[in-house]
Amino acid sequence: MSEGPLIVQSDKTLLLDIDHPMSTECRRAIAPFAELERSPEHIHTYRLTNLGLWNARAAGHDAELVIDTLIKYSRYAVPHSLLVDVAETMSRYGRLRLEADPVHGLILITTDVGVLEEVIRAKKIAPLLGVRIDPETIAVHPSQRGAIKQSLLRLGWPAEDFAGYVDGQAHEINLKQNDWKIRPYQELAAEGFWHGGSGVVVLPCGAGKTIVGAAAMAHAKATTLILVTNTVAARQWRDELLRRTTLNEDEIGEYSGAKKEIRPVTIATYQVMTKKKNGVYSHLDLFDTHDWGLIIYDEVHLLPAPIFRFTADIQSRRRLGLTATLVREDGMEGEVFSLIGPKRFDVPWKEIEAQGYIAPAECIEVRVNLTEAERLSYATAEPEERYRYCATTRTKRDVVEELVGLHAGEQILVIGQYIDQLDDLSETLGVPVIKGETPIKERERLFAAFRTGEITCLVVSKVANFSIDLPEATIAIQVSGAFGSRQEEAQRLGRIVRPKADGRGAKFYSVVSRDTIDQDFAQNRQRFLAEQGYSYRIIDADDVFQGKI
Amino acid sequence: METRSFADYLRTLDDAALISLFSHRPDLVTPVPPDIASLAVRATSAPSLARAIDALTAWQYQVLEACAVSAEPFTEKNIASLTDKAAIFVLPGLIERGLIYTGKDGLYLPTTVREVLGNDCAGLGPQSMAKLNLKKLDEAPPAAKKALDAMVWGPPRGTIADVKKPGAGVAWLLENDFVVVANSHTVLMPREVAIYLRGGKIHKELFTKAPVLVGDKRDSKSVQLAAIANISTFLRWTEEILNFWAQEPADALRSGGLGVRDLKIISTHLGVDANCAAFVAELSYLAGLLTIDPDDRILPTSQFDIWLTQAPSARWQSLVAPWLITSRVSGLVGKEESKNVAPLGPELDRVAAAPLRKLTLRLLQESEGTAPQFASLLALAQWSTPAKRSGGIPSDYVLWTLREAEWLGLTGQGAISKYATALLAGEDLDVIDQDLPKPVDHILIQSDHTAIAPGPLEHEIAQELAILAEIESRGGATVYRFSEATIRRGLDHGRTGDEIKAFLKKTSKTPMPQPLEYLIADVAKKHGKLRVGNTSAFIRCEDSALIAQIINDKRLDILSLRQIAPEVLICQHDAADAMATLRSFGYLPAGEDSQGALLSGPRIQRAKSKARPPRIIGEFDRPDELQLEGALRALRTGEKSSHRQSTLRNIAANALGSLPRTTANETLDILVNYLQNQPATSLSIGYADNNGLVSHRIIDPLKLSAGSLIARDHATGEVQTFRIARITGVAAI
Repeated sequence: MSEGPLIVQSDKTLLLDIDHPMSTECRRAIAPFAELERSPEHIHTYRLTNLGLWNARAAGHDAELVIDTLIKYSRYAVPHSLLVDVAETMSRYGRLRLEADPVHGLILITTDVGVLEEVIRAKKIAPLLGVRIDPETIAVHPSQRGAIKQSLLRLGWPAEDFAGYVDGQAHEINLKQNDWKIRPYQELAAEGFWHGGSGVVVLPCGAGKTIVGAAAMAHAKATTLILVTNTVAARQWRDELLRRTTLNEDEIGEYSGAKKEIRPVTIATYQVMTKKKNGVYSHLDLFDTHDWGLIIYDEVHLLPAPIFRFTADIQSRRRLGLTATLVREDGMEGEVFSLIGPKRFDVPWKEIEAQGYIAPAECIEVRVNLTEAERLSYATAEPEERYRYCATTRTKRDVVEELVGLHAGEQILVIGQYIDQLDDLSETLGVPVIKGETPIKERERLFAAFRTGEITCLVVSKVANFSIDLPEATIAIQVSGAFGSRQEEAQRLGRIVRPKADGRGAKFYSVVSRDTIDQDFAQNRQRFLAEQGYSYRIIDADDVFQGKI
Repeated sequence: METRSFADYLRTLDDAALISLFSHRPDLVTPVPPDIASLAVRATSAPSLARAIDALTAWQYQVLEACAVSAEPFTEKNIASLTDKAAIFVLPGLIERGLIYTGKDGLYLPTTVREVLGNDCAGLGPQSMAKLNLKKLDEAPPAAKKALDAMVWGPPRGTIADVKKPGAGVAWLLENDFVVVANSHTVLMPREVAIYLRGGKIHKELFTKAPVLVGDKRDSKSVQLAAIANISTFLRWTEEILNFWAQEPADALRSGGLGVRDLKIISTHLGVDANCAAFVAELSYLAGLLTIDPDDRILPTSQFDIWLTQAPSARWQSLVAPWLITSRVSGLVGKEESKNVAPLGPELDRVAAAPLRKLTLRLLQESEGTAPQFASLLALAQWSTPAKRSGGIPSDYVLWTLREAEWLGLTGQGAISKYATALLAGEDLDVIDQDLPKPVDHILIQSDHTAIAPGPLEHEIAQELAILAEIESRGGATVYRFSEATIRRGLDHGRTGDEIKAFLKKTSKTPMPQPLEYLIADVAKKHGKLRVGNTSAFIRCEDSALIAQIINDKRLDILSLRQIAPEVLICQHDAADAMATLRSFGYLPAGEDSQGALLSGPRIQRAKSKARPPRIIGEFDRPDELQLEGALRALRTGEKSSHRQSTLRNIAANALGSLPRTTANETLDILVNYLQNQPATSLSIGYADNNGLVSHRIIDPLKLSAGSLIARDHATGEVQTFRIARITGVAAI
């Protein structure tokens, strides 16, 4: 029996013992076909999925290689049925191909007539098809390229897409690496994406996803549409692109509520794209108005439904999704993969941290005892008001005040969900607050002041959850959140893990009311980070007051 | 020509020959026949021969067919010329089995063998009665040739429109006796003609050699590795299925067996398909690890507890051993055409299953080191036991056997494993215990509330963890997840928070993450704060001094009171009893209903049960005339019929011997005479039915018409028509 680092489970999960000397080698070997699911301290969990195996086929790995890898690194004998299953799954790939035909346009062609007969009888697929050209070929409506790929995937007969991508209008873009250097994993991610054609890159917050985007643009050398979450993020993207690439200000346009510029590189917000005018998504035309060679979706885990639908129609354009946390509480992760493309790159947070590209962070849950009176009114509160009540208790304010005092001199963000609470905190702490109604100008001013150290403490609402680059923030204090949202917790941590100039570690405090649903939600919220290997420490509010943190 | 009987032949056999016969046909000595004559009868009985013939290989079967179509006595040479030279090596085997025997001047075939082989043996018709000039067949006109070609390889019958007006070809054949008339639409081809046309042979294709088994070579090491993985997986499945049912027993169907829904539940639980789950359940059932109890629940037996303590090899053996011999085929579960077949149910038995399993394993053993391709293995199995009579080997059974052998680890990657070889040879299976991964005694706890056992856990640890955590992933390792619910379950099982912490700290190789410690402490703190119990009555009083007095009152010990709060006592007696007892000792209780309202003491009591007045017992009312008449009529009719039945039967029995056989004319005369002169007389007749069986009837003749007698049959009481021609005799009673 070999003593390998990998344990292959019968439910198709792979457990990788990372304390094993061969673990790094094994991780590299399985990464092309297995999806990383969890990466806590000792054992990482990967999963063999149909999608993952097909992607491996698409990337040129065959079943034999997968099986050999599993057997080579496995600690115990690999269940035969699993190997058979892997081989069978992978053999399903490529029996159908989408190709561009000079005469018939987009065609679906097969090497196995039986499979074609099966799929053209499927209810979901029949309406997407055109005329039968010969027994092995059938025409596909060009606009349905995304839809048919999605449906075929669901049927278990993924089509290999040879129809290629439109190059889009060429536009010279290069990286300008004069005072900085692209990091190895960023380069790998960009290359992984480029060779795959389309797909999603998963990188921790603060690991420089913008640069991956810029590198992808440098590969494409074509006009690019970038979709981001909000205007502040749009401007940050613009600044980054100006700094990292050869693009100049005239080449970059902003398409937001304020401005509607269309330039070779256009940065648009999700909000404006999904704005309805007379019941029509008038701005979705932006996808068509220009011959884009590349479309980048920032924070793809937030992709709104109308854009989902539209993305299905633009399968001939290269698409890059960027995210730190591909978890959606609505379970739409699969849709993201099938529309934007498969996961092209994913790396555990802790690994990037070990390489020094993100700051080490300590997660601390501060448990606050409710007073007797608070407990009683919590117990009798209406169910829908309960979370709000326990998340905004007065006792939390004292703890926050104390924490801010303990970290005086450091850059602190106080993050919360409820505006009343934030206003209250802002008043108590005597610091400015940024919330939804704060004008963009004011937001930018405050963020700039924070970056320069003019202001050391900011109270922010969920508007600062994403894409806001605050490199010197080291302390985050979370007082309330969007119930049990896992990705929100991770994104908030992401605000403070940008590497610090002095190499300092970050601290993420989550203030939680003991014995209430606040505590239950906190547990769910922490799951994503715990699975990424962040270990939470629980302390008592009294410890804070005694300065024991 | 002297033909020795088969019995005489058996008498001449020496001991060795008889033993060889018995070893081929064990049914001949179970039970041991009293003498050679009975042995001969048994050996030539159709069921025994059928068994023997089914056990022949395809080639042996062909030789036997050749023997069956040859005229007795035949010689080795005859047979060899009809089949192949190699046949002479097969004949001794057939003789050993008592399917042919040697007589004075050649070989003979017990007549029953021909019957068992059936009509049209090898597609050949009967022997020709006429002298045939077979040479003439070569000059057959084209139309005749066409007809011959259609019949030559059997079946030897041809259908034509009308034998009286045959076509030119058939007419020529009839003329030369190359076909004979069977009935008005059918002609038969005599055996000699077919053999001549087949070129002196009988079979189109001879299966002298077993088909070569084609398969993929397997590396022995990886075969054993795969097999041991299968073995450990199978043991795990069994354990899990039984542990699952121990907690949530499935209900057996009324018709017996496991319902589709419960099967689905366990297959999801195991993460395997329904067939596999059904197989695991079946084997546990066969091994006595689970049973269906009198309440129709499917539950593990105490045998399961013993099984759990055994070494893996012994556990495996106790599952495989019944599989080798069982006639139950769990593969039938979930088949399209047998929807109602349930695992653990009564409909799974198939006679062919065990021999086929044995054969499949033998073939696998013979091809050690290769994983045979299914089609090739099936072909070989079909050659080895064509089982022609029962329609051949069902290919599904072979498929299922292979599948099940793989699940069980008898094969690994489709090739036979050394464990199977050892098991089939009856050798020691310790090697399994050595090859299975060593159990680990530790887990790794991680901060995302999971714990991982990086190998099979020691039994005690696994059991404890199964209580404290949910299993998230199974296989070589096990992934456990802790949650509030699972910790609570541990507390419900009587562990304390500290015990759980201590156990995890001791078992975990990694330090215990702080959030998990908090989780355990939190749940433990809250657990059991609320207490729930059953009680019959309560005594409450706002004056806790009075409560103290009551609980200390020795005289009230009979109420077995328990104080659950300063102001509340509970008691296991009924509220009314408690109140009566309290009153009798000078207390002044008042009743309270479940809503807390004070009940004023019920002076007048009412029964709680429903009214059930007793039945009235006394004289009956005189029934009216109509009822009486009806009763009488019913009585008489009953009596008459039973009396008549018995007397008439006696009469008939007496008449039986003396009944004169009368010719049809005499019968007619007698009947006419009786009808004219003594119309009301009952007569006894013998009457032949459709099958020619004569029965006695007692009849009252009514009239004669058109060759039939219309009469009332006493036995049925109905008027029936008897045909004169069928009446064998008639007599007066």
